[in-house]
Amino acid sequence: MSGSARPLVGVYSITGESGNQVKLPDVFRAPVRHDIVNFVHTQVCKNARIPYAVCRRAGHRTSAESWGTGRAVSRIPRVAGGGTSRSGQGAFGNMCRGGHMFSPTKVFRRWHRRCNKNMRRYAVCSALAASAVPALVMARGHQIRDVPEIPLVVSNKIQGINKTKAAKLALTALNASTDTDKVKATKKVRVGKGKRRNRRYVMKKGPMIVFAKNQGGFQGFRNLPGVTLAKVSALNILELAPGGHLGRFIIWSEDAFTALKDYFGVFGKEASARKYKMPTPLIKNSDVTSIINSKAIQAITRPQKSKKPKKGVSHNPLRHNPTMFKLRPYEFQRRRMVAAAIACRRGLEKNGQLFKQKPKVKKYPMKKKAYRAQLKSKAKAAKDAKAKAAKAPAKKK
Amino acid sequence: FIVRLIAKMQHDEVIWQVINQGFCSFKIKLEKQNFCRNKFNVTGLCNRSSCPLANSRYATVLEEKGICYLYIKTIERAHSPKNLWEKIKLRRNYATALKQISDHLQYWPNFNVHKCKQRLTKIHQYLIRMRKLKLKVRPKLVGIHKKVERREKVREAKAEKAARLENAIKNELVERLKQGMYDEVVNFPQQVWQKALDGVEGEMDEDRDQGEEYDDVYDEEDEDEEEEESEFVEAYDEDIMGSDIEDYEDAFAAMQQDDDDDDDDDDDDEPTSKKKKT
Repeated sequence: MSGSARPLVGVYSITGESGNQVKLPDVFRAPVRHDIVNFVHTQVCKNARIPYAVCRRAGHRTSAESWGTGRAVSRIPRVAGGGTSRSGQGAFGNMCRGGHMFSPTKVFRRWHRRCNKNMRRYAVCSALAASAVPALVMARGHQIRDVPEIPLVVSNKIQGINKTKAAKLALTALNASTDTDKVKATKKVRVGKGKRRNRRYVMKKGPMIVFAKNQGGFQGFRNLPGVTLAKVSALNILELAPGGHLGRFIIWSEDAFTALKDYFGVFGKEASARKYKMPTPLIKNSDVTSIINSKAIQAITRPQKSKKPKKGVSHNPLRHNPTMFKLRPYEFQRRRMVAAAIACRRGLEKNGQLFKQKPKVKKYPMKKKAYRAQLKSKAKAAKDAKAKAAKAPAKKK
Repeated sequence: FIVRLIAKMQHDEVIWQVINQGFCSFKIKLEKQNFCRNKFNVTGLCNRSSCPLANSRYATVLEEKGICYLYIKTIERAHSPKNLWEKIKLRRNYATALKQISDHLQYWPNFNVHKCKQRLTKIHQYLIRMRKLKLKVRPKLVGIHKKVERREKVREAKAEKAARLENAIKNELVERLKQGMYDEVVNFPQQVWQKALDGVEGEMDEDRDQGEEYDDVYDEEDEDEEEEESEFVEAYDEDIMGSDIEDYEDAFAAMQQDDDDDDDDDDDDEPTSKKKKT
């Protein structure tokens, strides 16, 4: 893969018409590492947490003391004093009514996780690269069937749409509104206690719109269901890969798209806007299967080792005559003889053949000999026939 | 453009890894099998070779309103979801359609061609089945809504009560009588009719349901019984009711002596009529 000629991405107007073309920034060719993205996501996700804990003094607002031994009660601290039903009750323990809980939750729990800066940026690169692969965006669940191109770059006018009505029109023109419609349809009441804690509704994620500059676009798009807004300068992994899953549907403004080069740079070179060098893919061509199957490599590989022959289908000799014949050639003869004996006994008249063969099952040893002799003679006859046949075509030729 | 091809070509393996090991919204995981909900999947299974997302060169057969279409996806159009699938209409004839598939997927890997044909076969089979089923009369299953049924039943009973059918029928019949519809039908002495009519009119004025005053003339039953009574009168020619009753009693006595007879009415008529006629 030569780095000189870069693919071009079409820029679309807000009415959906294709216009000029822009070069695809190198970020979109960064390695797609879902493992890194997942890890970074789980780490970074924890950083917005607000601490929760039980009250510090919960369960300890008594002056309870253990009565010790010798009082025919358990040794758990008991509430001091008298005159109330509370007195003498067990206190403090997690098993006691009104006691503290087991391992009371503390505020000084480690809520936040740190993640290496480079790793975080790697994740962002991966997420951006994944957003340029239509398959991954579809797999994530976005409705992009009729979107003209991925990555979707729109003219800078989108940054100035400050009316939601116009914003909706623009999205419809770009066939991105099916995604917002899907989101609207999925709005439902949250499962669990969150619904009574001011987190009543849940919705899916729709398209993410990235601006270079807010010229009113934020106001226009922010109320559309599922739409996330961002600036190129601050791309959040939590938005680029919601849930740790790659492939968010992103709509870029033209300036934002071209500005990516400033923030992420080119393979092998540092970015201009910040000190960052993108992760270069370990393999230039990650289609390993096609590499293996290419002529260049197949020519060098040794031939395949002969595989052990397959056992083949095992047949039941009692049901499968060829197998029986292999194991017991005499079987069929024997069966015929038995049948003949039975028929004889019943006095039935079957084929003349039966009566030709003497059904002397008792004289088995002799018969076997005779049969063997028969086989031999037959084999000989076959050989002669073959020899004749061999001679015959030779003659013809 | 070629570079774009190469750049995109890289992605198949990557895509599959991300989808398979990561998340795919189309995947349905069951204990022993994974299925794919994607509309364009040929086999319906979640496989490396069946995944329409992880294979840049892919073909399916889909059916719309009885017509099969061959959908082809190539790497050249991978960047544009709108133009991704090329839709080719297949002939209705099964054999011709198979040939069409072979032609369009001429140098394609055997897997794709084979699976497309298999899918086409299955589609044709179920279409045939659908057509056969349409010819049969199948009972249309309609669900019973318990609540609705209960509600309607109660409402029906109420409506029936409110309609007061007996009254309406009675009034209607009387009207008809008045109009003279039954003049030819019924042989009744005028006086009796007038009596009755007056009585009924009185009833109507009073707005009562039952005419209790006229028990001796009529039974407590409806005027529907009129015709039955006319038979009764016929049997006794033009005698007045009183004598009829006497005869009735005689007939009853006669009947009681007889052992075989079961029906009262019939027996009433027959012996008495016989009596009178002879």
